[in-house]
Amino acid sequence: MTTPLISVQNLTVEIKTGRGLLKAIRGVSFDINLGDAIGIVGESGSGKSITLKAILDLLPTNARITGGKIFINGVDVSGLKPKARRALLSDNSAMIFQDAIAALNPVIKIGDQIAEVPRYRLGKSEEESKKIALSLMAKVGITDGESRYDLYPHQLSGGLRQRVAIAIALSGDPKILFCDEPTTALDVTIQAQVLRLLKELRENSGLGIVFVTHDLAVVNELCDDIKVMYAGRFVEAGTVENVFTKPTHPYTFSLLKAAPDPDKAVHRLFTISGEAPNLTQPVVACPFAPRCFAATSECQTSEPNLLPMAESLSACFHSKNHVNWASEDSEKSVAR
Amino acid sequence: MKSSKTLYVGAGLLGFLALVAIFAPLITHYDPTEQDLMNTLLGPSMHHWAGTDPLGRDVFTRLIYGARVDLAIGLSAVILPYIIGVCLGLLSAWKGGKTDSFIMRIVDTFLAFPFYVLAIALVFIFGPGIKSIIVAITLGGWVAYCRIVRSNVLVAKEQDYIHAAKLTGLPGRRILFRHMLPNVISQSIVFAMSDIVLSILAIVSLGYLGLGVPVPTAEWGSMIQEGQPYITEQWWLATIPGLMVVYVGFSLSLIGDGLVARLER
Repeated sequence: MTTPLISVQNLTVEIKTGRGLLKAIRGVSFDINLGDAIGIVGESGSGKSITLKAILDLLPTNARITGGKIFINGVDVSGLKPKARRALLSDNSAMIFQDAIAALNPVIKIGDQIAEVPRYRLGKSEEESKKIALSLMAKVGITDGESRYDLYPHQLSGGLRQRVAIAIALSGDPKILFCDEPTTALDVTIQAQVLRLLKELRENSGLGIVFVTHDLAVVNELCDDIKVMYAGRFVEAGTVENVFTKPTHPYTFSLLKAAPDPDKAVHRLFTISGEAPNLTQPVVACPFAPRCFAATSECQTSEPNLLPMAESLSACFHSKNHVNWASEDSEKSVAR
Repeated sequence: MKSSKTLYVGAGLLGFLALVAIFAPLITHYDPTEQDLMNTLLGPSMHHWAGTDPLGRDVFTRLIYGARVDLAIGLSAVILPYIIGVCLGLLSAWKGGKTDSFIMRIVDTFLAFPFYVLAIALVFIFGPGIKSIIVAITLGGWVAYCRIVRSNVLVAKEQDYIHAAKLTGLPGRRILFRHMLPNVISQSIVFAMSDIVLSILAIVSLGYLGLGVPVPTAEWGSMIQEGQPYITEQWWLATIPGLMVVYVGFSLSLIGDGLVARLER
């Protein structure tokens, strides 16, 4: 097997907070290659954004990587000087953010922002950079780039802003595109357009995509693989098809159940009760146990590891029962 | 818009004074330092619009020539600390860690001294004169800009557009000066407007203490001081230069308020 483009191995991140050290990421591993599309889903605070930030060296000052390794092109980044690390990262990856208006500089014309990397990092001439910027604008579906070149971010609609952000991300010719909920702030029609664009980019230029979101439908639309994150760990991982049709972790199962189904009329949507665990406390049991329908006394003894189950990986003591959950659970809810 | 009106009125008032100061020789035919001992302490009249001082010098002439000195020192005494403060503030917050602690400890040291104690001590060391005043005000004034810019940079550093710029691999210099600086500078510009008033006040205060611009150069602070003994009889001698300071302060405040509304949206 060839070395993966980006490889994350057993990564742990801790954040200093007023209430103590918070173990935001507790051992996360995955590989990304050209053309891959991985979705990382989880609720707020599960650590999905921090995972991206750790890889991209954007952790806030109160957070730091306390364990594990990140390899880019087979190079361990922890041994690199900040400058070399930044260069390696920007040669291989780029990122688009949730809120495009925050990710664009308010005082610079959008065309100049797109032309900046060709001009100042790749050392192209001014005219050449402008030409590259215009072609990038066309590539991400900004029509009439010539006349929009001199606009400022606040003069654009939300969808266009995100397209500009994508154009900037593409300007360094990245191999992997990290996306931190880039469609969450957009309305559904624009969301669909942006997703289509990302899909096209992946198909046409072999871009690898890591997509962090809490929207399962978006992952289903765009990704091949999915990692479900809970309390700083992956609790289930597999292909989108497998995980969506036969989830092997109770959390995934409940998440899918909570998603509204347009074909079924329900009185009230299913919810997962309780709240995410406090990660400033040491984890001794399965962190999902207090909220889990399948929990038994076994779940209180130790934390389950991510192990193969059916065609996926699952971190649950009871994952072998997953085929029965659908029927069991519906009986239970009737009894309630 | 109301804010632009404030800005324009302030700029107009200050601009008017600046024009008067620049074209002073055309407005008055008196010399600001020429004494006329036959006509001392005259009240305001057609010949001497603001009267004459104890040495018979035309007070109006001295006022508008004094505007030259006070405005020029006021402005230049802000530009230097502004540049130093902004650069160190940027550096401090951008580098963080040891650099930040080091610069902030220097700032603390300067803050620990009351401004006038520092200024008086420095002017005393360097000897009175325009240069010493500017050095004193610079040494006391840069810390405010440093702290303002530093706190703005600390906030902007965690903004997505800075993250995004870092991620694209642009050179650090480019990110700092093109992406960061224009977004963190507005608050310090607004503060600079009120700081000009403060440094003019400082010049006037130093002048009043006899540590300012050496006599016989016309300067508002020394004019107030010279007028003080006559305050009961020839009250205009000390009052009118004081009102000039108020006028400048007022127009700069208007400019500052207008800029707040304009720059900080």
